[in-house]
Amino acid sequence: MEHTEHLEHTETPKDMKSQIWKTFWILFAFTIIDIVLYFILLSYHSMIKNWLFIFLGVVKAYYIVGIFMHMKFEKKALMYSIIIPMVFVLFFIALMILEGDYTNILRWIK
Amino acid sequence: MATNTLSTEKKFIWGGGKSPFSVSYGKLMMWIFLLSDAFTFSSLLIAYGFIRYSFQSPIPNTIVKPLAHVGHDFVEQMKQAGLFVQDHWPSPELVFNHFPFIHGLHLPLFFVSLMTFILIFSSVTMVLAVEAGHRMAKDEVSKYMLLTIIGGAMFLGCQAWEWTTFIGEGARLYGNPYGPRSFAALFFIVTGFHGFHVFSGVVLNVIIYINVLNGTYEKRGHYEMVEKVGLYWHFVDLVWVFVFTFFYLI
Repeated sequence: MEHTEHLEHTETPKDMKSQIWKTFWILFAFTIIDIVLYFILLSYHSMIKNWLFIFLGVVKAYYIVGIFMHMKFEKKALMYSIIIPMVFVLFFIALMILEGDYTNILRWIK
Repeated sequence: MATNTLSTEKKFIWGGGKSPFSVSYGKLMMWIFLLSDAFTFSSLLIAYGFIRYSFQSPIPNTIVKPLAHVGHDFVEQMKQAGLFVQDHWPSPELVFNHFPFIHGLHLPLFFVSLMTFILIFSSVTMVLAVEAGHRMAKDEVSKYMLLTIIGGAMFLGCQAWEWTTFIGEGARLYGNPYGPRSFAALFFIVTGFHGFHVFSGVVLNVIIYINVLNGTYEKRGHYEMVEKVGLYWHFVDLVWVFVFTFFYLI
Protein backbone atom coordinates (compact mmCIF):
# COMPACT_ATOMS: atom_id res chain seq x y z
CA MET A 1 0.00 0.00 0.00
CA GLU A 2 2.70 2.43 -1.06
CA HIS A 3 0.50 4.74 -3.11
CA THR A 4 -2.22 6.75 -1.33
CA GLU A 5 -5.13 5.92 -3.57
CA HIS A 6 -8.40 7.67 -2.80
CA LEU A 7 -10.95 4.91 -2.61
CA GLU A 8 -13.86 6.55 -0.86
CA HIS A 9 -15.14 8.19 -4.01
CA THR A 10 -14.16 8.23 -7.64
CA GLU A 11 -13.10 11.50 -9.25
CA THR A 12 -14.87 14.71 -8.26
CA PRO A 13 -14.64 17.39 -10.95
CA LYS A 14 -12.76 20.58 -10.12
CA ASP A 15 -15.77 22.81 -10.81
CA MET A 16 -18.14 20.81 -8.57
CA LYS A 17 -19.56 23.90 -6.88
CA SER A 18 -20.62 25.56 -10.14
CA GLN A 19 -22.08 22.25 -11.35
CA ILE A 20 -24.13 22.09 -8.15
CA TRP A 21 -25.61 25.55 -8.66
CA LYS A 22 -26.22 24.89 -12.36
CA THR A 23 -28.10 21.73 -11.42
CA PHE A 24 -30.18 23.67 -8.88
CA TRP A 25 -31.32 26.13 -11.56
CA ILE A 26 -32.07 23.26 -13.95
CA LEU A 27 -34.23 21.52 -11.32
CA PHE A 28 -35.95 24.81 -10.50
CA ALA A 29 -36.67 25.42 -14.19
CA PHE A 30 -38.09 21.93 -14.67
CA THR A 31 -40.37 22.34 -11.64
CA ILE A 32 -41.70 25.58 -13.12
CA ILE A 33 -42.16 23.84 -16.48
CA ASP A 34 -44.10 21.08 -14.69
CA ILE A 35 -46.56 23.53 -13.13
CA VAL A 36 -46.97 25.63 -16.27
CA LEU A 37 -47.53 22.55 -18.44
CA TYR A 38 -50.12 21.25 -15.96
CA PHE A 39 -52.24 24.33 -16.41
CA ILE A 40 -51.75 24.64 -20.16
CA LEU A 41 -52.71 21.00 -20.70
CA LEU A 42 -55.55 21.03 -18.15
CA SER A 43 -58.27 20.65 -20.75
CA TYR A 44 -56.61 17.70 -22.49
CA HIS A 45 -57.20 14.22 -21.11
CA SER A 46 -54.81 11.98 -23.00
CA MET A 47 -52.36 9.42 -21.66
CA ILE A 48 -49.59 11.35 -23.45
CA LYS A 49 -49.93 14.05 -20.79
CA ASN A 50 -49.05 11.47 -18.12
CA TRP A 51 -46.04 10.17 -20.04
CA LEU A 52 -44.85 13.76 -20.38
CA PHE A 53 -45.03 14.37 -16.62
CA ILE A 54 -43.33 11.05 -15.87
CA PHE A 55 -40.61 11.95 -18.38
CA LEU A 56 -40.04 15.33 -16.70
CA GLY A 57 -39.85 13.53 -13.33
CA VAL A 58 -37.22 11.15 -14.71
CA VAL A 59 -35.20 14.10 -16.06
CA LYS A 60 -35.22 15.66 -12.59
CA ALA A 61 -34.26 12.28 -11.11
CA TYR A 62 -31.31 12.11 -13.52
CA TYR A 63 -29.92 15.37 -12.16
CA ILE A 64 -30.61 14.60 -8.48
CA VAL A 65 -29.13 11.10 -8.63
CA GLY A 66 -26.36 11.96 -11.08
CA ILE A 67 -24.99 15.20 -9.65
CA PHE A 68 -26.33 15.57 -6.09
CA MET A 69 -25.90 11.91 -5.19
CA HIS A 70 -22.66 11.81 -7.15
CA MET A 71 -23.75 8.79 -9.19
CA LYS A 72 -22.40 10.23 -12.45
CA PHE A 73 -18.89 10.05 -11.03
CA GLU A 74 -19.11 6.61 -9.47
CA LYS A 75 -18.15 3.30 -11.03
CA LYS A 76 -20.55 2.26 -13.81
CA ALA A 77 -21.30 -1.04 -12.07
CA LEU A 78 -22.69 0.74 -9.02
CA MET A 79 -24.72 3.05 -11.23
CA TYR A 80 -26.31 0.16 -13.11
CA SER A 81 -27.03 -1.83 -9.91
CA ILE A 82 -29.20 1.02 -8.69
CA ILE A 83 -30.67 2.38 -11.93
CA ILE A 84 -31.73 -0.84 -13.68
CA PRO A 85 -34.06 -2.13 -10.92
CA MET A 86 -35.66 1.31 -10.76
CA VAL A 87 -36.30 1.26 -14.52
CA PHE A 88 -38.32 -1.90 -14.03
CA VAL A 89 -40.17 -0.39 -11.07
CA LEU A 90 -41.01 2.73 -13.08
CA PHE A 91 -42.36 0.47 -15.79
CA PHE A 92 -44.49 -1.28 -13.16
CA ILE A 93 -45.99 2.06 -12.05
CA ALA A 94 -46.75 3.00 -15.65
CA LEU A 95 -48.28 -0.42 -16.26
CA MET A 96 -50.60 -0.10 -13.27
CA ILE A 97 -51.74 3.29 -14.49
CA LEU A 98 -52.71 1.66 -17.76
CA GLU A 99 -54.36 -1.36 -16.13
CA GLY A 100 -56.43 0.63 -13.62
CA ASP A 101 -58.90 1.12 -16.42
CA TYR A 102 -59.96 -2.52 -16.09
CA THR A 103 -61.41 -2.00 -12.61
CA ASN A 104 -63.06 1.17 -13.86
CA ILE A 105 -64.84 -0.75 -16.61
CA LEU A 106 -65.86 -3.49 -14.17
CA ARG A 107 -67.47 -0.86 -11.96
CA TRP A 108 -69.61 0.31 -14.87
CA ILE A 109 -70.65 -3.20 -15.82
CA LYS A 110 -71.90 -3.81 -12.28
CA MET B 1 -0.29 13.41 7.73
CA ALA B 2 1.05 10.40 5.82
CA THR B 3 0.16 7.91 8.55
CA ASN B 4 -3.24 9.57 8.95
CA THR B 5 -4.20 9.13 5.30
CA LEU B 6 -2.84 5.57 5.31
CA SER B 7 -5.11 4.64 8.20
CA THR B 8 -8.11 6.29 6.53
CA GLU B 9 -7.31 4.43 3.30
CA LYS B 10 -7.34 1.19 5.29
CA LYS B 11 -10.88 1.97 6.42
CA PHE B 12 -12.17 2.03 2.87
CA ILE B 13 -10.80 -1.38 2.00
CA TRP B 14 -13.16 -4.14 3.01
CA GLY B 15 -12.14 -7.39 4.76
CA GLY B 16 -10.98 -9.15 1.62
CA GLY B 17 -8.46 -6.49 0.66
CA LYS B 18 -10.58 -4.97 -2.11
CA SER B 19 -13.20 -2.23 -2.25
CA PRO B 20 -16.19 -3.32 -4.34
CA PHE B 21 -17.35 -0.56 -6.70
CA SER B 22 -14.43 1.48 -5.25
CA VAL B 23 -16.64 2.76 -2.44
CA SER B 24 -16.50 2.27 1.28
CA TYR B 25 -18.67 -0.31 3.01
CA GLY B 26 -20.90 2.30 4.68
CA LYS B 27 -21.58 4.13 1.43
CA LEU B 28 -22.49 0.98 -0.50
CA MET B 29 -24.79 -0.18 2.28
CA MET B 30 -26.50 3.22 2.28
CA TRP B 31 -27.07 2.88 -1.49
CA ILE B 32 -28.55 -0.59 -1.04
CA PHE B 33 -30.78 0.65 1.77
CA LEU B 34 -31.96 3.51 -0.46
CA LEU B 35 -32.76 1.01 -3.21
CA SER B 36 -34.87 -1.04 -0.80
CA ASP B 37 -36.62 2.08 0.47
CA ALA B 38 -37.27 3.09 -3.13
CA PHE B 39 -39.03 -0.26 -3.61
CA THR B 40 -41.26 0.46 -0.60
CA PHE B 41 -42.23 3.89 -1.91
CA SER B 42 -42.72 2.45 -5.38
CA SER B 43 -45.18 -0.10 -4.02
CA LEU B 44 -47.27 2.80 -2.70
CA LEU B 45 -47.04 4.65 -6.02
CA ILE B 46 -47.90 1.49 -7.96
CA ALA B 47 -51.02 1.11 -5.82
CA TYR B 48 -51.78 4.79 -6.36
CA GLY B 49 -51.49 4.42 -10.14
CA PHE B 50 -53.94 1.54 -10.20
CA ILE B 51 -56.47 2.97 -7.73
CA ARG B 52 -56.40 6.42 -9.32
CA TYR B 53 -57.23 5.03 -12.74
CA SER B 54 -59.90 2.69 -11.42
CA PHE B 55 -62.01 5.83 -11.01
CA GLN B 56 -63.29 8.16 -13.68
CA SER B 57 -60.99 10.96 -14.75
CA PRO B 58 -61.42 14.32 -12.98
CA ILE B 59 -64.28 16.47 -14.23
CA PRO B 60 -62.70 19.42 -16.03
CA ASN B 61 -62.94 22.67 -14.10
CA THR B 62 -64.13 25.69 -16.05
CA ILE B 63 -65.67 27.62 -13.16
CA VAL B 64 -62.85 28.60 -10.86
CA LYS B 65 -59.98 30.58 -12.30
CA PRO B 66 -56.58 30.98 -10.57
CA LEU B 67 -56.43 33.92 -8.13
CA ALA B 68 -60.23 34.01 -8.06
CA HIS B 69 -61.97 34.78 -4.81
CA VAL B 70 -63.31 31.71 -2.99
CA GLY B 71 -65.52 31.62 0.07
CA HIS B 72 -65.31 29.54 3.24
CA ASP B 73 -67.74 27.04 1.80
CA PHE B 74 -65.63 26.34 -1.29
CA VAL B 75 -65.87 22.57 -0.79
CA GLU B 76 -69.66 22.78 -0.51
CA GLN B 77 -69.81 24.95 -3.62
CA MET B 78 -67.75 22.41 -5.57
CA LYS B 79 -70.08 19.64 -4.41
CA GLN B 80 -73.07 21.69 -5.59
CA ALA B 81 -71.36 22.41 -8.90
CA GLY B 82 -70.88 18.68 -9.39
CA LEU B 83 -67.09 18.87 -9.41
CA PHE B 84 -66.62 16.83 -6.21
CA VAL B 85 -68.44 13.53 -6.82
CA GLN B 86 -67.98 10.03 -5.48
CA ASP B 87 -67.09 8.25 -8.70
CA HIS B 88 -64.75 10.81 -10.26
CA TRP B 89 -61.22 11.37 -9.02
CA PRO B 90 -61.07 15.03 -7.90
CA SER B 91 -59.10 17.54 -9.90
CA PRO B 92 -55.92 18.28 -7.88
CA GLU B 93 -56.02 21.99 -8.62
CA LEU B 94 -59.41 22.24 -6.92
CA VAL B 95 -58.26 20.41 -3.80
CA PHE B 96 -54.76 21.81 -3.28
CA ASN B 97 -55.59 25.48 -3.58
CA HIS B 98 -54.82 27.02 -0.20
CA PHE B 99 -51.83 28.95 1.05
CA PRO B 100 -50.84 29.87 4.63
CA PHE B 101 -51.89 33.35 5.76
CA ILE B 102 -53.78 33.96 2.51
CA HIS B 103 -57.49 33.26 2.91
CA GLY B 104 -60.16 33.32 0.28
CA LEU B 105 -57.98 33.08 -2.83
CA HIS B 106 -57.87 30.18 -5.27
CA LEU B 107 -54.15 29.44 -5.51
CA PRO B 108 -53.93 26.08 -7.28
CA LEU B 109 -50.76 24.09 -6.56
CA PHE B 110 -48.92 27.22 -5.32
CA PHE B 111 -48.20 25.81 -1.87
CA VAL B 112 -46.95 22.44 -3.07
CA SER B 113 -44.64 24.19 -5.53
CA LEU B 114 -43.22 26.15 -2.62
CA MET B 115 -42.71 22.91 -0.69
CA THR B 116 -40.91 21.38 -3.67
CA PHE B 117 -38.68 24.42 -3.94
CA ILE B 118 -37.83 24.29 -0.21
CA LEU B 119 -36.86 20.63 -0.43
CA ILE B 120 -34.79 21.05 -3.60
CA PHE B 121 -33.00 24.01 -2.02
CA SER B 122 -32.24 22.01 1.13
CA SER B 123 -30.80 19.33 -1.16
CA VAL B 124 -28.54 21.95 -2.71
CA THR B 125 -27.26 23.09 0.69
CA MET B 126 -26.70 19.43 1.59
CA VAL B 127 -24.55 18.74 -1.46
CA LEU B 128 -22.65 21.97 -0.81
CA ALA B 129 -21.95 20.62 2.71
CA VAL B 130 -20.64 17.39 1.18
CA GLU B 131 -18.45 19.34 -1.24
CA ALA B 132 -17.05 21.43 1.63
CA GLY B 133 -16.39 18.17 3.49
CA HIS B 134 -14.15 17.01 0.65
CA ARG B 135 -12.04 20.12 1.27
CA MET B 136 -12.09 19.50 5.06
CA ALA B 137 -13.62 22.98 5.54
CA LYS B 138 -15.32 22.45 8.91
CA ASP B 139 -17.01 25.86 9.19
CA GLU B 140 -18.56 25.64 5.72
CA VAL B 141 -19.79 22.11 6.37
CA SER B 142 -21.54 23.17 9.59
CA LYS B 143 -23.04 26.25 7.93
CA TYR B 144 -24.55 24.28 5.05
CA MET B 145 -25.74 21.45 7.31
CA LEU B 146 -27.56 23.96 9.49
CA LEU B 147 -29.28 25.39 6.41
CA THR B 148 -30.28 21.88 5.35
CA ILE B 149 -31.77 21.15 8.78
CA ILE B 150 -33.73 24.41 8.67
CA GLY B 151 -34.99 23.58 5.17
CA GLY B 152 -36.11 20.13 6.29
CA ALA B 153 -37.87 21.56 9.33
CA MET B 154 -39.63 24.13 7.12
CA PHE B 155 -40.83 21.37 4.81
CA LEU B 156 -42.20 19.41 7.77
CA GLY B 157 -43.99 22.51 9.02
CA CYS B 158 -45.52 23.06 5.58
CA GLN B 159 -46.68 19.45 5.37
CA ALA B 160 -48.17 19.66 8.86
CA TRP B 161 -50.10 22.79 7.83
CA GLU B 162 -51.32 21.05 4.69
CA TRP B 163 -52.55 18.06 6.72
CA THR B 164 -54.26 20.34 9.25
CA THR B 165 -56.11 22.16 6.47
CA PHE B 166 -57.36 18.93 4.93
CA ILE B 167 -58.40 17.37 8.21
CA GLY B 168 -60.21 20.64 8.93
CA GLU B 169 -62.09 20.31 5.65
CA GLY B 170 -63.17 16.80 6.57
CA ALA B 171 -60.60 14.59 4.90
CA ARG B 172 -60.05 11.33 6.78
CA LEU B 173 -58.62 7.92 6.06
CA TYR B 174 -62.15 6.58 5.69
CA GLY B 175 -63.68 9.37 3.65
CA ASN B 176 -63.31 12.87 2.28
CA PRO B 177 -65.53 15.55 0.76
CA TYR B 178 -63.60 15.78 -2.52
CA GLY B 179 -64.45 12.45 -4.11
CA PRO B 180 -63.66 8.73 -3.72
CA ARG B 181 -62.63 7.49 -0.30
CA SER B 182 -59.21 6.39 -1.52
CA PHE B 183 -58.21 9.94 -2.43
CA ALA B 184 -57.52 11.28 1.05
CA ALA B 185 -56.49 7.85 2.35
CA LEU B 186 -53.75 7.57 -0.28
CA PHE B 187 -52.76 11.20 0.24
CA PHE B 188 -52.28 10.80 3.98
CA ILE B 189 -50.49 7.46 3.70
CA VAL B 190 -48.05 8.49 0.95
CA THR B 191 -47.29 11.98 2.26
CA GLY B 192 -47.24 10.64 5.82
CA PHE B 193 -44.73 7.95 4.97
CA HIS B 194 -42.64 10.50 3.10
CA GLY B 195 -42.96 13.01 5.93
CA PHE B 196 -41.74 10.34 8.34
CA HIS B 197 -38.65 9.95 6.16
CA VAL B 198 -38.09 13.71 6.13
CA PHE B 199 -38.40 13.72 9.92
CA SER B 200 -35.89 10.92 10.39
CA GLY B 201 -33.64 12.67 7.86
CA VAL B 202 -33.75 15.86 9.90
CA VAL B 203 -32.96 13.90 13.07
CA LEU B 204 -29.98 12.22 11.38
CA ASN B 205 -28.80 15.57 10.04
CA VAL B 206 -28.96 17.09 13.53
CA ILE B 207 -26.85 14.24 14.94
CA ILE B 208 -24.25 14.60 12.18
CA TYR B 209 -24.32 18.40 12.54
CA ILE B 210 -23.48 18.10 16.24
CA ASN B 211 -20.67 15.68 15.33
CA VAL B 212 -19.32 18.16 12.78
CA LEU B 213 -19.34 20.94 15.38
CA ASN B 214 -17.52 18.69 17.86
CA GLY B 215 -14.78 18.01 15.31
CA THR B 216 -15.42 14.24 15.17
CA TYR B 217 -14.79 14.14 11.42
CA GLU B 218 -11.73 16.39 11.57
CA LYS B 219 -10.24 13.79 13.92
CA ARG B 220 -11.35 10.97 11.66
CA GLY B 221 -9.70 12.60 8.68
CA HIS B 222 -12.70 12.50 6.34
CA TYR B 223 -16.27 13.76 6.13
CA GLU B 224 -17.71 10.61 4.63
CA MET B 225 -20.51 10.46 7.19
CA VAL B 226 -21.80 13.78 5.86
CA GLU B 227 -21.77 12.24 2.40
CA LYS B 228 -23.73 9.17 3.54
CA VAL B 229 -26.36 11.19 5.34
CA GLY B 230 -26.44 13.43 2.27
CA LEU B 231 -27.33 10.42 0.12
CA TYR B 232 -30.30 9.74 2.39
CA TRP B 233 -31.40 13.37 2.21
CA HIS B 234 -31.23 13.44 -1.58
CA PHE B 235 -33.24 10.23 -1.68
CA VAL B 236 -35.95 11.94 0.41
CA ASP B 237 -35.93 14.82 -2.10
CA LEU B 238 -36.10 12.42 -5.04
CA VAL B 239 -39.09 10.60 -3.57
CA TRP B 240 -40.83 13.95 -3.11
CA VAL B 241 -40.23 14.79 -6.79
CA PHE B 242 -42.06 11.60 -7.75
CA VAL B 243 -44.81 11.96 -5.14
CA PHE B 244 -45.34 15.50 -6.41
CA THR B 245 -45.44 14.30 -10.03
CA PHE B 246 -47.82 11.41 -9.41
CA PHE B 247 -50.10 12.91 -6.81
CA TYR B 248 -50.47 16.45 -7.97
CA LEU B 249 -49.93 16.25 -11.71
CA ILE B 250 -51.16 12.82 -12.85
